[in-house]
Amino acid sequence: MTKKTYSLIFLCTMFFLLVVTGCSSSEDTSSGSEQGSDSIENVTINFMHLWPAGSSRQQNMIVNEIIEEYQTANPHVKIVQEVLENEQYKTKLQVISASNELPDVGMTWPAGFMEPYVKGNRFTPLDDLLKGGLKESFVAGTTEAYAVDGKTYAFPLELNIVPLYYNKSIFAEYNLEVPETYEDFKHVVKTLVDNNVVPIALGNKDRWTGSLWYMYLADRLGGPEILTNAINRSGTFEDESLVKAAEEVQTLVDMNAFVRGFNGLSNDEGKSEFLNEKAAMYLMGSWELPNFTTNEEIPQEFRDNVGYFKFPTVEGGKGDIDSWVGGPGVGLFVAENSSVKEESKKFVKFFVESWGEQAVVRAGVTPATAVDTTALELPQLYIDVLNDLGRASNMTLFADVQMSAAVAETHLNMIQSLFGNQVTPEDYAKRHEEALAVEGN
Amino acid sequence: MKSVIENRKTTLTANKPTLRSSKHSLWQRLTKGMLYAVLILLAIIQIFPLVWLLFFSLKNNQEVFNTPPLSFPTSPKWENYVKVWTEGNIGTYFFNSVWITVVAVVITVLLASFVTFAITRMKWKYKNFVLGLFMVGLMIPVHSTLIPLFSFFVKVNLMDNPLSIILTYIAFNLPLTIMILLGFYYALPREIEEAAIMDGCSIHRMFFKIILPMTAPVMATTAIINMIYNWNEFVFVNTFISSDKYKTLTVGIQNFIGQYSTDWGAIGATLMISILPILLAFFVLSNRIVEGITSGSVKG
Amino acid sequence: MDKVMSDKKIIALYVLPALVVIMTLVYSPIVMTGYYGLMKWDGIGKMEFIGLANYTRLLSDSMFWQSAYHSFLLAVFSVISLGGYLLISLILAGKIKGANLLRKIYLIPMLLSSVAIAQLWLRIYHPTNGVINSVLTSLGTENIPLWLADPDIVLYSIFIAIIWQYAGFYILIYYAALKNIPESLIEAARIDGATPWQIAYKIKIPLIANVIKVTIVLAVVGSLKYFDLIYVMTNGGPNGASEVMASYMYKQAFRTYDFGYGSAIGFFLLLICLVVTWVIRKLTASEEEIQY
Repeated sequence: MTKKTYSLIFLCTMFFLLVVTGCSSSEDTSSGSEQGSDSIENVTINFMHLWPAGSSRQQNMIVNEIIEEYQTANPHVKIVQEVLENEQYKTKLQVISASNELPDVGMTWPAGFMEPYVKGNRFTPLDDLLKGGLKESFVAGTTEAYAVDGKTYAFPLELNIVPLYYNKSIFAEYNLEVPETYEDFKHVVKTLVDNNVVPIALGNKDRWTGSLWYMYLADRLGGPEILTNAINRSGTFEDESLVKAAEEVQTLVDMNAFVRGFNGLSNDEGKSEFLNEKAAMYLMGSWELPNFTTNEEIPQEFRDNVGYFKFPTVEGGKGDIDSWVGGPGVGLFVAENSSVKEESKKFVKFFVESWGEQAVVRAGVTPATAVDTTALELPQLYIDVLNDLGRASNMTLFADVQMSAAVAETHLNMIQSLFGNQVTPEDYAKRHEEALAVEGN
Repeated sequence: MKSVIENRKTTLTANKPTLRSSKHSLWQRLTKGMLYAVLILLAIIQIFPLVWLLFFSLKNNQEVFNTPPLSFPTSPKWENYVKVWTEGNIGTYFFNSVWITVVAVVITVLLASFVTFAITRMKWKYKNFVLGLFMVGLMIPVHSTLIPLFSFFVKVNLMDNPLSIILTYIAFNLPLTIMILLGFYYALPREIEEAAIMDGCSIHRMFFKIILPMTAPVMATTAIINMIYNWNEFVFVNTFISSDKYKTLTVGIQNFIGQYSTDWGAIGATLMISILPILLAFFVLSNRIVEGITSGSVKG
Repeated sequence: MDKVMSDKKIIALYVLPALVVIMTLVYSPIVMTGYYGLMKWDGIGKMEFIGLANYTRLLSDSMFWQSAYHSFLLAVFSVISLGGYLLISLILAGKIKGANLLRKIYLIPMLLSSVAIAQLWLRIYHPTNGVINSVLTSLGTENIPLWLADPDIVLYSIFIAIIWQYAGFYILIYYAALKNIPESLIEAARIDGATPWQIAYKIKIPLIANVIKVTIVLAVVGSLKYFDLIYVMTNGGPNGASEVMASYMYKQAFRTYDFGYGSAIGFFLLLICLVVTWVIRKLTASEEEIQY
C-alpha cells in the first residue's frame, strides 16, 4: 500500500512538473509547417467540415477523393481534416473564432449565420476566384447568399428546394388527386383525416420544419417578395397576407393535418412517420431525395411509392406554383488569418469545381454548380426536381437563414407557438415586429 | 486490530437467532414480502434501459422510431456493430477514453483527498475560505468556460493536447469530489489521528496508512462518479482536441449524426460498446464500497 | 498534537496543487465570464464595453425569468426526491438479502451518458408508440397527453427523466455513507429493542447529516445549472416552456451570437448559486460543526 501510494504521489508531482514545463518550453508541435509558406515549401491546410463517414458516407468519400486528387496534383500540399457533427461544429466554430484560430478552410451557412464572422473579419473575400468562369458555373443567384456588402465570402456546395412529397399508394387508396389549388389540398387533408390516416408528417421540435409551411403559405398568399420584404424591413409581418398565412397554419392544425405531438418530435421522428407510410405527405428539402430513390435501407416498394408536387396555389393569392422555398446550404470559406491563404483559396476553387457532378451522381446532393444531367444516369424523381429547380420563377431563402440569429430565434419560437395554438396570428406578427425593431436599433 | 473486528463479527452472528425469533410475526412477513416486491420491481425498471439499449443497437432507423422501445428487433442488425467497429478509429478512441479517464480519476481523487484532509483535519486560518473557493467551482456553467479555456490553452500551447482535457476534467471534478469526501471526513473519529501522532507517526504516513484506507469506500464512490463523468464527456473533447489520434469514444457517436439524418442504430451500437468497460469498472469499484465497512468501523 | 496538525508546509503541500489547478482552469474562466458580461460581443469580432447594460437587460428579460423559474422548480423537485433516494439507500444498506446485487442494478442507469438517457426517454414519451402512451391507448384512455409537446406538462415530463437520471448518483453517495456507520452503534440500538425505523431516524440519519447537507447543496446547485437532457429532449421548447437558465444562456451565447449577454447570464447564474448555497448553509447549520 505505502509503496503504491508513494509512487502515485511521485507520478503526480511529475505530472505537474510536466504541465509547468510544457507551458514554458514552447515547442510548436501542431502547426510547425504552416509558417512562411512559399509555393514550393510544404504547406498544411486544415479543413474542418461536418460530413462524418458514418452518417454522410457518400459526401465523406467524395471529400476524401477530392483531397487525394488535389494532393497528388500538388505534392507540396497536405490537407488535414477535422470532422464534427452539426451542433458541435457550430459551437466549436464560434469558440475557436474568438481566439482567431479558425481552420484554413471550413464550412459555413449563408446569410444570418455567417454575418458575425464576416463582420468580425474572420473570413476572407473570395471574389477574385469567381473571375475566369467560376461565377458562371454556379446556379444564378446562389453565391449572393454568401455575399456581404458586395463581397462573396464563401462558395455554396448544395442548393435545395422544398417539394411536398407524398405517398402515391395512400393517395390511390382514397382516390385522391395531386392537388393544384389550396382548396384541393384541404380536401385531401380532410379526406385523409376522415379515413384515420395522418395527412402530414412533421417534426416541429426542430422548428424550421414548421417554418417551411408558413413560408409557403406566405408566398402563395402574398407573393414571392412579401416575406423577404418583411424581414428586410421594407415590409411588415403585420401585412394582411402574412397574418392570413399564420391563420391558415392554425386552420391546418385544427383540421388535425399534422401528426400527433409534432411539437415534441424531432425532424427525424416526424420523417419516420412518412417513411413508415403512416403519414401521407411530408414537406422537406430536396436533400431527402436519396431516401426516396437510392437508399437501400429503405424498402424498394416504399421508394417507388414516393412522388412529389409543388406547393398548391391559393385562389386570389399572389404567388405562382413555380415559386419555391429553398436556397443554398453549407458553403466553403477561407479564414482571413490563415497562414496559407493563397494555397487554401486554390484548394477551395478546386473543390467546388470537382464537387458538382460527383455530388449529384453519388451523394444525391443537388449541387449549387450547374451540372449537365442529360449525360448522367439518375433516378427520375431526381431529374424532375432538378428540372423544376431550373424552371423556378423564384426562390425564397429559408426564413431563419435570412434573419439575423436573434430574430431567427424569435421566429422559430413563434412558429412553435403558432402550431401549438398558443399564440394568435396577430400576436405572432406583433412579436416578429418587436424582434425586428430591436434589431434595427 | 483485525482480531477485534473478527471478534465482533462472531458476536454479531451469535446475536442473530435471538433477534429473529421476535421477528416472526405474520405482519412482518407480509411487509417484508411487499418490500421485496417493490424492490424487485424497481430493479426491473432500472435494468430496462440496458435491455432497451441492446435492442436499440440492433435496429435500423425505421424500427427505432416505429416499433415499441422494448420490442425485439425483427431481424437483429448485428451489422451496426460491424459498422461501428470498422469505421473510423474506434480502437484509438477507445484507448484514449480509457487512459484519459484513468489518469484524470486517479489524480482528481488523490488531490481531492489531500485537500479534504487538510480542510477537515488540520488547523489553519484560511481553511473555510479555501473550501469556499472550491465550492464556487461547482457553480459555473460549463458552456461559459469554453471560450476563456480555449484561449488559455492556445496561450500555453496545450491546444490539441490530451493534457488540456485531463487538466480540465480534474479542475471541474475537484469541487464535486471534495464536497462528497467532506461529509465522510467529518465523520472520521479524531481519536485515531491523535493516537497515531502520539505514536510518533508523521502526517504523511498517517494520511496514507490510516486515513486513505479508512476512506476507501468513499474514494471508490467518488472514483465511480468521476469515471462516469469523464467517460461520457464530449463538449471539452470536441472543443480542445482536433486530431483524431487524441479523440475519445464519445466522438464515435458524432460520426453517425448527420446534418439531415442520423444513423440511430449505429449510435446505439456505439453507446452499447462504450458502456461495457464502464459497467465492468463499476462492478469492481462498487465492491470496494462494501469492503470498506471493516476499516470504517475501526473506531473501537 | 496541534502543532503537527497545523504545520504550514504540509498544509501548503496538500492544498496547493489542487488550488493551482482550480485557480487557473476554473477561476480564470469565471473572471473572464464576468468581464465578457460587461461587453457587447458576438463572441467573434470586436468587443465594446457597455457597462452593466447586459444586466439591466437581464432584469427585464421575461424569457430569462421564466427559465430561472423553471430552474428553481427543478431544484425544489430535486431536493424533495432526495428523500426518496435516502429511503431506498436505507433499505439497501439494511440487512436484507440480495442488497448487494440490487444496489448494483439500481445504479446501472447512472452509467449511461446523457445522449443515451435522452434517447430512452424520447422513446418513452413518444406521442403515439411511446411506452406510456401505448399503455394508455390500450387502456382506452381519452385525451392522451403529449408529454413533450404540451407546454403545460413538458417541464414535469423532463423533471421525471432528470430525477431518474440522478437517482443512482445520490443513492451511491447515501449508500456509501450509511455503510460507513460503525456497525456497533446500530447493533447496540437493536439490542436495546429499537425498531428499524427508530434506528434509521434516530441513529443513521443524524450520523450522515453532514453528507445529507452536502447532497442538498449538490442537488440545488446541480439543478440551477442543469443543461443536458433539456437541450437534447426539447431544446427548451415548445417556445421556451422547458427552457432553463443554462440552456437559455447557451442559446444566447452560441446560437444567437450574443456572447456578452450569454456571459452575463452565466455570471448571474453563478451569483444565484452562491446566494442559494449560503442560504442553505445558514438553514442547515448546527452549532458544533465548522461553518463553511
